Amino acid sequence: MSTAIKQASGGMLIDLKAYHTFAQMKKGLEKKLTSVADLPIGSKVSIDIGEKILSNKQVRELEDTLLDYGMHLEELMSGRLPDVEEDLDEEPVIEGMTHYDDTALICKHIRSGQKRFVQGNIVVLGDINPGAEVVAGGNILVMGSLRGLAHAGVFGDEGAIIAAYRLNPTQLRIATHITRPPDGERNAVDYPEVARIREGRVIIEKLKI
Amino acid sequence: MKSRVIVITSGKGGVGKTTTTANLGTALAMMGKKVVMIDTDIGLRNLDVVMGLENRIVFDIVDAVNGHCKLKQALIKDKRFDGLYLLPAAQTKDKTAVSPHQMKNMTNELRKDFDFILVDCPAGIEQGFKNAIAGADKAVVVATPEVSSVRDADRIIGLLEAAGLTETKLIINRIRSKMVKRGDMMDISDINDILAIELLGVVPEDEAIVVSTNRGEPAVLENISRAGAAYRRIARRLNGEEVPMYSLDDPENIMDKFKKMLKLAR
Repeated sequence: MSTAIKQASGGMLIDLKAYHTFAQMKKGLEKKLTSVADLPIGSKVSIDIGEKILSNKQVRELEDTLLDYGMHLEELMSGRLPDVEEDLDEEPVIEGMTHYDDTALICKHIRSGQKRFVQGNIVVLGDINPGAEVVAGGNILVMGSLRGLAHAGVFGDEGAIIAAYRLNPTQLRIATHITRPPDGERNAVDYPEVARIREGRVIIEKLKI
Repeated sequence: MKSRVIVITSGKGGVGKTTTTANLGTALAMMGKKVVMIDTDIGLRNLDVVMGLENRIVFDIVDAVNGHCKLKQALIKDKRFDGLYLLPAAQTKDKTAVSPHQMKNMTNELRKDFDFILVDCPAGIEQGFKNAIAGADKAVVVATPEVSSVRDADRIIGLLEAAGLTETKLIINRIRSKMVKRGDMMDISDINDILAIELLGVVPEDEAIVVSTNRGEPAVLENISRAGAAYRRIARRLNGEEVPMYSLDDPENIMDKFKKMLKLAR
């Protein structure tokens, strides 16, 4: 299958009309970009996909592919307008949650004295022990016990959440809010919990999805 | 058998690293193994005192690594067992007198002659700790059932992992079954929840340890010591044997049995 490539006014036009599936389309685009790898970084590219419909996620994938080669998507030419329903799978799991592109998966216990920082979300398959710190630009999800310190939305995202299979932190921070468990009393629960900001306060509730 | 270099560490001081080293070393020697114990607590040496070998020290670890004597000259042969040796720490120097690189070379040299090389680590996470773990291929962490000790053990396990020692095992020392039963002391599962590493053994609190430490006779030599018996079982596990875990229950003495019988009769 051939991919037409034309020098359009001010940028490049890649014709992907001939491909039937998205996977083929992506592969064709990659092949084409490899063959023209000497194009200046920062070039603007338009893609013609013909009669096909792409979801937002698929468009983003094409954009990412272009970015890998140092190019930007200028225009996506399509014979049809995308259906609004296509975006249903993009709904956030929890209302008001910001989307982050990078999520780090940590498959070990984070122990006293250890610190993890991620620009986006953090998922920990393990415990966070007392004396350990986990700091995320986005949300924090712990599939174990959170006993140490967790700071979500460190760049000011008040919609960030901290969820844990067992939430017994020494301290919780979301954006600029800092909380700690009340002194003395300790009512242990045996279900997952989530911490988030509601009406300017950090509240902890049973995790329901 | 391939020789093993095992570092015994804890982070916190006073939890029983030196006592553990002395007892495990002696117990392994009792089993016929060739064992050397290295005291890396330069400046605050203790292992020689606990072993009752203080008056035999001529050369020490610093002399050995700096070439003031041959490594074999610095090894002190135990007065009780043929296969047991001690490499004492220097008392007049400090931790910087030895480098991790030198420690590694030394433990590798000792591998030729010994089955077990037990390294007694100093408290803390600084140079002394780095020296002690440098040549080790396994680590044993000693913790007492106290929050501060468990916290430090957790930190140490993290540092050991960062240094590539991943198969760390845990000894819980000085547990008091009566306090645990009353709920006044952390129990084994509380500690396991936090540290999440393999349990090598549990040593009960035992006054006999104080006596034997002061006398320079490791508790494993005495048949009546409960801590000594626990250390003997741990030594067998270190040697690869399957030994059932210590039961927390106190052994019933004659008075207890008598009381029970009275209650039953009533």
